[in-house]
Amino acid sequence: MKEVLKLEHIQKYYGNGGNVTKAIQDISFSVEEGEFVGIMGASGSGKTTLLNCISTIDTVSAGHIYLDGTDVTEINEKQIARFRRENLGFVFQDFNLLDTLTISENIALALTINKVPAGEIDGRVREITRKLNITDILDKYPYQVSGGQKQRCACARAIINNPKLILADEPTGALDSHSSQMLLSTIQGINETLGATILMVTHDAFSASYANRILFLRDGAIFTEIRKGSDSRRTFFNKILDVLTMMGGGSE
Amino acid sequence: MMYSKLAFRNIRRSLRDYIIYFVTLTLTAALMYSFLALGFSPDILAMTENMSMLTSGILMLSVLVALLSSFVVGYAIRFMLGQRKKEFAAYELMGMEVKTVRNLFLVENSIIGGAAFLLGSLLGTAMSGLLNQVVQNIFEIPHRYQVLFSLRALGMTLFFFILMYGFGMLRAAKVIRRRKVIDLLYDNQKNEEAGFQPLHRSVLTCLLSLAAMVAGVILLEKGLHIQTNEAMLYWGGACLLILAGVYELHRKIPMLLYQLAKRNPHRKYREETLFFLGQIGRRIQSSGRTMAVVAILLTVSLATMFVGMTMGAGYKANMEAYYPYDAGVAIDAPLTKDSMDSVRSFVEERCEVEDSVTYYLYAVPNETIEALSLSDYNHLREILGLSPVSMNNNEFLVHCDTWNYMDGIRQGLEQKPEITLNGWTLTPAETPILTEPMEQYQMAGTKGYVLVLPDEVASRLSGEKIRLVMKLEDSGYPELKNELKQFLNSGKWQPDIQPGQELPERVTMGVTVKAWGVANSLTGFTTLSFCGLYLSIIFIILSCSVLAFEQLSAIDRNRKNYAVIDRLGVSGRRQASLVRRELSTVFLIPLFFPIVLTVLLIVGTQFFFGEAILQEGLVLFYGLVTILLFCAIYLTYFGATMSLFKRVILRPEMH
Repeated sequence: MKEVLKLEHIQKYYGNGGNVTKAIQDISFSVEEGEFVGIMGASGSGKTTLLNCISTIDTVSAGHIYLDGTDVTEINEKQIARFRRENLGFVFQDFNLLDTLTISENIALALTINKVPAGEIDGRVREITRKLNITDILDKYPYQVSGGQKQRCACARAIINNPKLILADEPTGALDSHSSQMLLSTIQGINETLGATILMVTHDAFSASYANRILFLRDGAIFTEIRKGSDSRRTFFNKILDVLTMMGGGSE
Repeated sequence: MMYSKLAFRNIRRSLRDYIIYFVTLTLTAALMYSFLALGFSPDILAMTENMSMLTSGILMLSVLVALLSSFVVGYAIRFMLGQRKKEFAAYELMGMEVKTVRNLFLVENSIIGGAAFLLGSLLGTAMSGLLNQVVQNIFEIPHRYQVLFSLRALGMTLFFFILMYGFGMLRAAKVIRRRKVIDLLYDNQKNEEAGFQPLHRSVLTCLLSLAAMVAGVILLEKGLHIQTNEAMLYWGGACLLILAGVYELHRKIPMLLYQLAKRNPHRKYREETLFFLGQIGRRIQSSGRTMAVVAILLTVSLATMFVGMTMGAGYKANMEAYYPYDAGVAIDAPLTKDSMDSVRSFVEERCEVEDSVTYYLYAVPNETIEALSLSDYNHLREILGLSPVSMNNNEFLVHCDTWNYMDGIRQGLEQKPEITLNGWTLTPAETPILTEPMEQYQMAGTKGYVLVLPDEVASRLSGEKIRLVMKLEDSGYPELKNELKQFLNSGKWQPDIQPGQELPERVTMGVTVKAWGVANSLTGFTTLSFCGLYLSIIFIILSCSVLAFEQLSAIDRNRKNYAVIDRLGVSGRRQASLVRRELSTVFLIPLFFPIVLTVLLIVGTQFFFGEAILQEGLVLFYGLVTILLFCAIYLTYFGATMSLFKRVILRPEMH
């Protein structure tokens, strides 16, 4: 399998002088094409910082991040925007949809920013929303639909440009259990049927159980890693709980 | 003690939010003080007897300014409360009483208000010196820069300032008292109402608004041709129709353009246009009314500034036409010409009379027009330095120095070229209409025009109104007017009535003295121009502040939206360009019709009054001054808002 993401000895420090906080100590791992990787850890373990560094929102203090062979840490400010729109898709806890645009326009926005010809846009939006089962809310505004529908819209926007990597930061954090389950099935579907590579940060064991592999972070470093393999989701879920117990009771 | 320290720290921390508010308050105080100081200045008031007109005008306008400003202060406070609601919620969650939070906010605002008042008064004192120089320059008095400090003006400014600020403060106190912690904490999670009316209704409203504006312009044009008070009705109706049209067009045209742009996929999906349309669409929805009101305010401001300055300057330029004679006495009674000799002697005792003419305005049977005899007419022309005219004994001419009667007179001459008076049939002279300024509402006629007849024909008519016109050494002096009036009314003057004539029931008597007129025309000019300038500059400042606050109040939401497109891969350069585009559109929307209407007003004034104003290019010059002054204020506010907006919305490297 092709290696989509590779992290080499990533370090991230905040502050200076005698007041330095080590958010990430020394992290190295890689993600293969089509993988669905979860990152778990307690609050302050460095999981969101890690995601921000991979997504170019934040910079690393040391180390290298390669996305499809490109060293993300070497990209200059002018190239970052282009890099993001061509390679990354984002799903955030608070949806990050624009209240000023309808659901279909929110999805289309990602295409227009990527300079997709105007004639193709409506067709592509219809196609992706059909797959994610949100065709009946296309003309509604975000504040007129449920949290689960908003997050599916965010997923549609994240995958519509076929990015090399989809980064999800606590995607079920603002959803009820039913909507969370539906969304996770959707994300799993995106991974399995569309072959999308997904890196999901979560503190919730149930959400993490949908991934194929989990990296556990503690104090800015990888504590351990487990793979689903041929286990059922329930078995995998129990394994996750075991690791969390071993790490010191729950992730948050 | 701790709270006042907290208040000072809060001001320092919220300096960004307070800056436009502070600038607006300072400028309002500065303008109020400088104009009031001018109105109260003893030197200025001593210039002419009517100068108190300026004081009254400025005082009345100050009340209006204070009231309008209080709305803007309220608006600004709403913005500030919005920016700091989470902070207030935190205070309340920590157990601070609502009363204390309110007092804290009031103390902060009082410090800001106090500082703005002090700085404004200082700035106003400096500005008043400049205004003083401008006035002295208008009166052609030798001048130098001299600061005008007036305790009375300062007191009045403080009074008006407290009036406008107190109103805003009371409103803020009420809002803080009524808001619950939960609203303060989660207010920004409230949704916006969606909903544009159907396209066909927007189109219909636009067409109706345009029709209202066109009807307004037609009424305005009709009003110009009416010489009675009825004209006021036409003008009032015209203003209402035009302003209603401006308001509705500003509400509907942006909506219409937005809806049309969204219908066209090729336009909508072009790069970041979709994002831009979303941003603007929300603005149109949430601030459409405000922008339309701002458009009306700007229309009124620009029109007031232009009309004030042009009328004032036109008044000055046309003084020669209003007061062509050094001195004149007009009595609407059939007196003998000898009666005027003692009047002439009275004047002669005070200043040398170089030339004079006593003449009648003759009544023309069955017509409203009055007549002058050719010899009297030529004598008047001689006094005015004009060449005499000649005509045959069977001819007549019309003198009309009022442009708007010209068409009617021409038509009348074409329809009825011959007139018959006491058996004499007269035809129009070779040049049938003459137009030099002669003052035709009192001296050379009372209707704006006069018929000039051969002496023989005129002498057979009844001389019902008598006039005396004098040419004086050095053009006389202003006080002569009152002295002459007193003489005429004192009983020392005993006029005789022509044999066979009777005194009318009510005798109208008028005295005109050029020196007095010129001084008071300058007062009129100063009053009109300065009041127009005062009101319009304040209006523009207030409108700009509202626009700036309107934009800055959405700053949190905008920051979030720009962060989304940043993550979606829109470059910093494109984001900066989007910010510029968004802000320019918000500032340009309310500007469109005010500018179009002002240009139309300038062109219309030039077309209708250009010839009537004796100084060439005056209308266009003041039109240009109006637009430049307006642009300077508008662009300053636009630049300040843009700078604040960019600093908050964009990452530092994108500025």
